[in-house]
Amino acid sequence: MHEFSIADALAAQVLRRAPAGRRVREVEIRVGALRGLEPAAMEMCWEAVTHDTALAGSVLVMDMRPWTLTCPACGRAWESPVPFAECSCGEASPRPTAGDELDLVSMTVDEDDDVGAEPTTGGAPTAGVEAEAR
Amino acid sequence: MSDPAKSTRIPIVERVLEANDQLAETVRADLARRGIFAVDIIGAPGSGKTALLEATLRALKGRRRPAVLVGDLATRRDGDRLARWCDQVVQISTGQGCHLEAGQVREALKQVDLSEVDLLLIENVGNLICPVGFDLGQAAKVGVFAVTDGDDKAAKHPYLVQAADVLLLNKIDLLPYVSFDRTVFEADVRLLNPIVPILEVSSTTGAGLDAWLEWLDRSNADRLQP
Repeated sequence: MHEFSIADALAAQVLRRAPAGRRVREVEIRVGALRGLEPAAMEMCWEAVTHDTALAGSVLVMDMRPWTLTCPACGRAWESPVPFAECSCGEASPRPTAGDELDLVSMTVDEDDDVGAEPTTGGAPTAGVEAEAR
Repeated sequence: MSDPAKSTRIPIVERVLEANDQLAETVRADLARRGIFAVDIIGAPGSGKTALLEATLRALKGRRRPAVLVGDLATRRDGDRLARWCDQVVQISTGQGCHLEAGQVREALKQVDLSEVDLLLIENVGNLICPVGFDLGQAAKVGVFAVTDGDDKAAKHPYLVQAADVLLLNKIDLLPYVSFDRTVFEADVRLLNPIVPILEVSSTTGAGLDAWLEWLDRSNADRLQP
Protein backbone atom coordinates (compact mmCIF):
# COMPACT_ATOMS: atom_id res chain seq x y z
CA MET A 1 0.00 0.00 0.00
CA HIS A 2 2.43 2.68 -1.18
CA GLU A 3 -0.59 4.98 -1.55
CA PHE A 4 -0.46 5.71 2.17
CA SER A 5 3.18 6.86 2.17
CA ILE A 6 2.55 8.92 -0.93
CA ALA A 7 -0.60 10.54 0.51
CA ASP A 8 1.33 11.28 3.69
CA ALA A 9 4.22 12.89 1.81
CA LEU A 10 1.79 14.84 -0.36
CA ALA A 11 -0.15 16.21 2.63
CA ALA A 12 3.07 17.41 4.25
CA GLN A 13 4.13 19.01 0.97
CA VAL A 14 0.78 20.78 0.49
CA LEU A 15 0.78 22.10 4.07
CA ARG A 16 4.31 23.39 3.50
CA ARG A 17 3.44 25.10 0.21
CA ALA A 18 -0.04 26.43 0.98
CA PRO A 19 -0.28 30.19 1.63
CA ALA A 20 -0.76 30.82 5.33
CA GLY A 21 -4.34 31.06 6.50
CA ARG A 22 -5.95 30.10 3.17
CA ARG A 23 -8.15 27.03 3.05
CA VAL A 24 -7.05 24.41 0.54
CA ARG A 25 -10.03 23.23 -1.54
CA GLU A 26 -8.36 21.05 -4.12
CA VAL A 27 -5.01 19.38 -4.70
CA GLU A 28 -4.03 18.17 -8.16
CA ILE A 29 -1.39 15.53 -8.85
CA ARG A 30 -0.10 13.95 -12.05
CA VAL A 31 0.75 10.25 -11.90
CA GLY A 32 2.64 8.22 -14.51
CA ALA A 33 1.27 4.74 -15.25
CA LEU A 34 4.49 3.10 -14.01
CA ARG A 35 3.70 4.20 -10.46
CA GLY A 36 0.84 1.71 -10.30
CA LEU A 37 -1.17 4.04 -8.12
CA GLU A 38 -4.72 2.93 -7.43
CA PRO A 39 -6.98 6.04 -7.51
CA ALA A 40 -9.59 4.61 -5.12
CA ALA A 41 -6.92 3.58 -2.61
CA MET A 42 -5.22 6.95 -3.00
CA GLU A 43 -8.49 8.79 -2.33
CA MET A 44 -9.08 6.73 0.80
CA CYS A 45 -5.55 7.41 2.04
CA TRP A 46 -5.89 11.11 1.31
CA GLU A 47 -9.02 11.26 3.47
CA ALA A 48 -7.25 9.33 6.22
CA VAL A 49 -4.09 11.46 6.34
CA THR A 50 -5.90 14.82 6.02
CA HIS A 51 -8.58 14.00 8.60
CA ASP A 52 -8.26 16.43 11.54
CA THR A 53 -5.74 18.60 9.69
CA ALA A 54 -6.10 21.93 7.88
CA LEU A 55 -6.55 19.89 4.68
CA ALA A 56 -9.65 18.01 5.91
CA GLY A 57 -12.34 17.98 3.24
CA SER A 58 -10.00 18.92 0.40
CA VAL A 59 -10.49 17.12 -2.89
CA LEU A 60 -7.63 15.19 -4.47
CA VAL A 61 -7.69 15.35 -8.26
CA MET A 62 -5.55 12.71 -9.98
CA ASP A 63 -4.40 13.08 -13.56
CA MET A 64 -3.57 9.43 -14.27
CA ARG A 65 -1.22 9.34 -17.27
CA PRO A 66 -1.74 6.25 -19.45
CA TRP A 67 0.67 3.81 -21.08
CA THR A 68 1.80 4.45 -24.64
CA LEU A 69 1.81 1.34 -26.80
CA THR A 70 3.88 1.32 -29.97
CA CYS A 71 3.33 -1.38 -32.56
CA PRO A 72 6.58 -2.81 -34.00
CA ALA A 73 4.69 -4.09 -37.08
CA CYS A 74 2.61 -1.14 -38.31
CA GLY A 75 4.16 1.68 -36.28
CA ARG A 76 0.88 2.81 -34.74
CA ALA A 77 1.20 4.42 -31.32
CA TRP A 78 -1.71 4.88 -28.95
CA GLU A 79 -2.55 5.45 -25.32
CA SER A 80 -3.80 2.59 -23.17
CA PRO A 81 -4.71 2.11 -19.51
CA VAL A 82 -2.94 -1.30 -19.56
CA PRO A 83 0.63 -2.14 -20.64
CA PHE A 84 -0.16 -5.24 -22.69
CA ALA A 85 -2.69 -5.11 -25.54
CA GLU A 86 -2.91 -6.35 -29.10
CA CYS A 87 -2.64 -3.89 -31.99
CA SER A 88 -5.54 -3.47 -34.42
CA CYS A 89 -3.20 -4.81 -37.15
CA GLY A 90 -3.04 -8.14 -35.33
CA GLU A 91 0.43 -7.72 -33.82
CA ALA A 92 0.36 -9.36 -30.39
CA SER A 93 3.21 -7.53 -28.67
CA PRO A 94 3.25 -3.75 -28.98
CA ARG A 95 5.96 -2.14 -26.86
CA PRO A 96 4.67 -0.47 -23.68
CA THR A 97 6.24 2.72 -22.34
CA ALA A 98 5.11 4.98 -19.53
CA GLY A 99 6.37 7.67 -17.23
CA ASP A 100 7.01 7.40 -13.49
CA GLU A 101 6.16 11.03 -12.74
CA LEU A 102 4.48 11.72 -9.42
CA ASP A 103 4.05 15.46 -9.23
CA LEU A 104 2.08 17.96 -7.24
CA VAL A 105 0.71 20.08 -10.08
CA SER A 106 -1.43 22.68 -8.36
CA MET A 107 -3.52 23.54 -5.36
CA THR A 108 -6.70 25.56 -5.29
CA VAL A 109 -7.12 27.78 -2.25
CA ASP A 110 -9.84 30.14 -1.05
CA GLU A 111 -9.45 33.80 -1.83
CA ASP A 112 -8.26 35.85 1.08
CA ASP A 113 -11.29 37.14 3.01
CA ASP A 114 -9.50 40.00 4.67
CA VAL A 115 -9.15 42.76 2.12
CA GLY A 116 -5.78 44.44 2.36
CA ALA A 117 -4.46 41.95 4.90
CA GLU A 118 -2.11 39.78 2.88
CA PRO A 119 -1.05 36.99 5.23
CA THR A 120 2.70 36.97 5.32
CA THR A 121 3.34 35.57 8.76
CA GLY A 122 2.59 32.20 10.38
CA GLY A 123 -0.19 33.68 12.50
CA ALA A 124 -1.97 35.08 9.46
CA PRO A 125 -5.65 34.96 10.58
CA THR A 126 -4.91 36.81 13.82
CA ALA A 127 -2.77 39.33 11.95
CA GLY A 128 -5.72 39.97 9.61
CA VAL A 129 -8.07 40.69 12.50
CA GLU A 130 -5.56 43.06 14.05
CA ALA A 131 -5.14 44.90 10.75
CA GLU A 132 -8.90 45.45 10.51
CA ALA A 133 -9.18 46.61 14.11
CA ARG A 134 -6.57 49.28 13.62
CA MET B 1 -17.38 31.03 6.00
CA SER B 2 -15.69 32.00 2.80
CA ASP B 3 -17.37 31.54 -0.56
CA PRO B 4 -16.04 28.37 -2.19
CA ALA B 5 -16.48 29.96 -5.61
CA LYS B 6 -13.88 32.58 -4.74
CA SER B 7 -10.81 30.46 -5.01
CA THR B 8 -7.45 30.64 -6.75
CA ARG B 9 -5.59 27.85 -8.49
CA ILE B 10 -1.88 27.98 -7.70
CA PRO B 11 0.29 26.05 -10.16
CA ILE B 12 3.27 24.33 -8.49
CA VAL B 13 4.80 21.27 -10.21
CA GLU B 14 7.08 19.63 -7.64
CA ARG B 15 7.81 15.96 -7.11
CA VAL B 16 5.64 14.54 -4.33
CA LEU B 17 8.56 12.49 -3.00
CA GLU B 18 10.94 15.46 -3.21
CA ALA B 19 11.89 15.19 0.48
CA ASN B 20 12.76 11.47 0.16
CA ASP B 21 14.61 12.06 -3.11
CA GLN B 22 16.75 14.81 -1.60
CA LEU B 23 17.72 12.57 1.33
CA ALA B 24 18.51 9.78 -1.12
CA GLU B 25 20.83 12.09 -3.05
CA THR B 26 22.81 12.91 0.09
CA VAL B 27 23.08 9.17 0.88
CA ARG B 28 24.19 8.44 -2.70
CA ALA B 29 26.81 11.20 -2.67
CA ASP B 30 28.18 10.04 0.68
CA LEU B 31 28.42 6.40 -0.43
CA ALA B 32 30.04 7.35 -3.75
CA ARG B 33 32.62 9.51 -1.95
CA ARG B 34 33.52 6.53 0.23
CA GLY B 35 33.76 4.22 -2.77
CA ILE B 36 30.84 2.06 -1.61
CA PHE B 37 28.68 0.35 -4.23
CA ALA B 38 25.09 0.13 -2.95
CA VAL B 39 22.36 -2.08 -4.34
CA ASP B 40 18.66 -2.04 -3.43
CA ILE B 41 17.31 -5.60 -3.63
CA ILE B 42 13.58 -5.76 -4.32
CA GLY B 43 11.42 -8.88 -4.52
CA ALA B 44 8.24 -10.48 -3.26
CA PRO B 45 8.05 -12.14 0.17
CA GLY B 46 9.37 -15.67 -0.24
CA SER B 47 11.22 -14.95 -3.49
CA GLY B 48 14.43 -15.89 -1.68
CA LYS B 49 16.10 -12.54 -1.12
CA THR B 50 17.59 -13.47 2.25
CA ALA B 51 18.78 -16.89 1.08
CA LEU B 52 20.34 -15.20 -1.94
CA LEU B 53 22.12 -12.75 0.35
CA GLU B 54 23.35 -15.59 2.57
CA ALA B 55 24.82 -17.35 -0.47
CA THR B 56 26.23 -14.05 -1.75
CA LEU B 57 27.89 -13.15 1.56
CA ARG B 58 29.36 -16.65 1.86
CA ALA B 59 30.87 -16.35 -1.62
CA LEU B 60 32.15 -12.82 -1.00
CA LYS B 61 34.16 -13.77 2.11
CA GLY B 62 37.65 -12.42 1.64
CA ARG B 63 36.73 -10.89 -1.72
CA ARG B 64 34.60 -7.86 -0.79
CA ARG B 65 33.88 -5.98 2.43
CA PRO B 66 30.06 -5.99 2.57
CA ALA B 67 27.54 -4.47 4.93
CA VAL B 68 23.85 -5.36 4.89
CA LEU B 69 20.73 -3.38 5.71
CA VAL B 70 17.62 -5.50 5.89
CA GLY B 71 14.09 -4.13 6.08
CA ASP B 72 11.15 -6.02 7.51
CA LEU B 73 7.80 -5.06 8.98
CA ALA B 74 8.59 -7.13 12.06
CA THR B 75 11.13 -9.52 13.62
CA ARG B 76 14.93 -9.60 13.50
CA ARG B 77 15.02 -13.04 11.91
CA ASP B 78 16.53 -12.01 8.58
CA GLY B 79 19.11 -9.85 10.31
CA ASP B 80 20.09 -12.76 12.58
CA ARG B 81 20.38 -15.12 9.61
CA LEU B 82 22.64 -12.72 7.73
CA ALA B 83 24.77 -11.84 10.77
CA ARG B 84 26.23 -15.35 10.58
CA TRP B 85 27.92 -14.34 7.31
CA CYS B 86 28.63 -10.66 7.77
CA ASP B 87 29.86 -8.57 10.70
CA GLN B 88 27.92 -5.49 9.75
CA VAL B 89 24.21 -6.19 9.52
CA VAL B 90 21.54 -3.68 10.53
CA GLN B 91 17.91 -4.79 10.76
CA ILE B 92 15.45 -1.99 9.97
CA SER B 93 11.99 -2.63 11.42
CA THR B 94 9.56 -0.64 9.33
CA GLY B 95 6.50 -1.27 11.53
CA GLN B 96 3.61 -0.39 9.23
CA GLY B 97 5.85 0.55 6.32
CA CYS B 98 5.68 -1.65 3.23
CA HIS B 99 8.98 -0.33 1.84
CA LEU B 100 12.20 1.33 2.96
CA GLU B 101 12.69 5.08 2.64
CA ALA B 102 15.88 7.09 2.32
CA GLY B 103 15.67 8.46 5.86
CA GLN B 104 15.64 4.93 7.31
CA VAL B 105 18.72 4.04 5.28
CA ARG B 106 20.52 7.17 6.42
CA GLU B 107 19.74 6.38 10.08
CA ALA B 108 20.74 2.72 9.73
CA LEU B 109 24.06 3.67 8.12
CA LYS B 110 25.00 5.47 11.36
CA GLN B 111 25.31 1.99 12.89
CA VAL B 112 27.75 0.85 10.21
CA ASP B 113 31.52 1.43 10.20
CA LEU B 114 31.59 2.64 6.60
CA SER B 115 35.38 2.82 6.52
CA GLU B 116 35.33 -1.00 6.55
CA VAL B 117 32.82 -1.34 3.70
CA ASP B 118 33.01 -1.38 -0.11
CA LEU B 119 29.64 -3.02 -0.87
CA LEU B 120 26.27 -2.17 0.67
CA LEU B 121 23.50 -4.71 0.15
CA ILE B 122 20.06 -3.37 1.05
CA GLU B 123 17.35 -6.00 1.29
CA ASN B 124 14.09 -4.10 0.93
CA VAL B 125 10.80 -5.14 2.52
CA GLY B 126 9.31 -8.11 0.64
CA ASN B 127 7.09 -6.33 -1.88
CA LEU B 128 7.21 -6.03 -5.67
CA ILE B 129 5.36 -2.73 -5.87
CA CYS B 130 5.87 -0.13 -3.15
CA PRO B 131 9.69 -0.16 -2.79
CA VAL B 132 10.30 0.63 -6.46
CA GLY B 133 9.21 4.26 -6.26
CA PHE B 134 11.32 5.18 -3.22
CA ASP B 135 14.90 6.14 -3.98
CA LEU B 136 17.24 4.98 -1.19
CA GLY B 137 20.44 6.44 -2.61
CA GLN B 138 21.46 3.14 -4.20
CA ALA B 139 23.73 2.89 -7.23
CA ALA B 140 21.71 0.02 -8.71
CA LYS B 141 18.35 -1.66 -8.27
CA VAL B 142 18.13 -5.46 -8.28
CA GLY B 143 14.79 -7.16 -8.96
CA VAL B 144 14.32 -10.70 -7.66
CA PHE B 145 11.69 -13.03 -9.13
CA ALA B 146 11.37 -16.72 -8.25
CA VAL B 147 10.21 -19.47 -10.60
CA THR B 148 7.82 -20.56 -7.83
CA ASP B 149 5.99 -17.22 -8.10
CA GLY B 150 4.80 -17.88 -11.66
CA ASP B 151 5.93 -16.61 -15.06
CA ASP B 152 3.43 -13.71 -15.10
CA LYS B 153 5.09 -11.69 -12.33
CA ALA B 154 7.24 -9.55 -14.62
CA ALA B 155 4.22 -8.50 -16.68
CA LYS B 156 2.29 -7.69 -13.51
CA HIS B 157 5.06 -5.53 -12.05
CA PRO B 158 6.21 -3.30 -14.90
CA TYR B 159 7.71 -0.57 -12.71
CA LEU B 160 10.24 -2.94 -11.13
CA VAL B 161 11.11 -4.47 -14.50
CA GLN B 162 11.68 -1.03 -16.03
CA ALA B 163 13.56 0.39 -13.05
CA ALA B 164 15.83 -2.61 -12.39
CA ASP B 165 19.49 -2.61 -13.42
CA VAL B 166 19.54 -6.40 -13.23
CA LEU B 167 16.88 -9.06 -12.72
CA LEU B 168 17.57 -12.30 -10.88
CA LEU B 169 15.39 -15.30 -11.65
CA ASN B 170 15.78 -17.26 -8.43
CA LYS B 171 15.09 -20.87 -7.40
CA ILE B 172 16.02 -22.03 -10.88
CA ASP B 173 16.69 -25.51 -9.39
CA LEU B 174 12.92 -25.88 -8.88
CA LEU B 175 12.11 -25.31 -12.56
CA PRO B 176 11.36 -29.02 -13.25
CA TYR B 177 8.72 -29.04 -10.51
CA VAL B 178 6.72 -25.89 -11.23
CA SER B 179 4.75 -24.50 -14.12
CA PHE B 180 7.00 -21.64 -15.20
CA ASP B 181 7.55 -20.83 -18.87
CA ARG B 182 10.90 -19.06 -19.24
CA THR B 183 10.05 -17.84 -22.75
CA VAL B 184 6.89 -16.12 -21.48
CA PHE B 185 8.77 -14.52 -18.59
CA GLU B 186 11.61 -13.32 -20.81
CA ALA B 187 9.30 -12.02 -23.56
CA ASP B 188 7.39 -9.92 -20.99
CA VAL B 189 10.63 -8.58 -19.52
CA ARG B 190 12.01 -7.71 -22.99
CA LEU B 191 8.88 -5.77 -23.94
CA LEU B 192 9.19 -3.66 -20.81
CA ASN B 193 12.97 -3.44 -20.67
CA PRO B 194 14.99 -4.48 -23.75
CA ILE B 195 18.40 -4.21 -22.08
CA VAL B 196 18.17 -5.40 -18.46
CA PRO B 197 20.31 -8.53 -17.84
CA ILE B 198 18.36 -11.56 -16.59
CA LEU B 199 20.50 -13.84 -14.42
CA GLU B 200 19.19 -17.29 -13.49
CA VAL B 201 20.33 -18.30 -10.02
CA SER B 202 19.79 -20.85 -7.29
CA SER B 203 20.88 -19.95 -3.79
CA THR B 204 20.43 -23.60 -2.80
CA THR B 205 22.63 -25.26 -5.44
CA GLY B 206 24.82 -22.23 -6.16
CA ALA B 207 23.93 -22.34 -9.86
CA GLY B 208 24.39 -18.97 -11.57
CA LEU B 209 25.89 -17.30 -8.49
CA ASP B 210 29.17 -16.64 -10.29
CA ALA B 211 27.40 -14.56 -12.93
CA TRP B 212 25.66 -12.55 -10.19
CA LEU B 213 28.93 -11.93 -8.33
CA GLU B 214 30.56 -10.91 -11.61
CA TRP B 215 27.69 -8.51 -12.25
CA LEU B 216 28.29 -6.92 -8.83
CA ASP B 217 32.03 -6.54 -9.52
CA ARG B 218 31.58 -5.30 -13.08
CA SER B 219 28.79 -2.80 -12.27
CA ASN B 220 30.92 -1.42 -9.46
CA ALA B 221 33.89 -1.06 -11.80
CA ASP B 222 31.73 0.51 -14.55
CA ARG B 223 30.46 3.08 -12.10
CA LEU B 224 34.00 4.04 -11.09
CA GLN B 225 34.98 4.68 -14.74
CA PRO B 226 35.44 8.43 -15.35
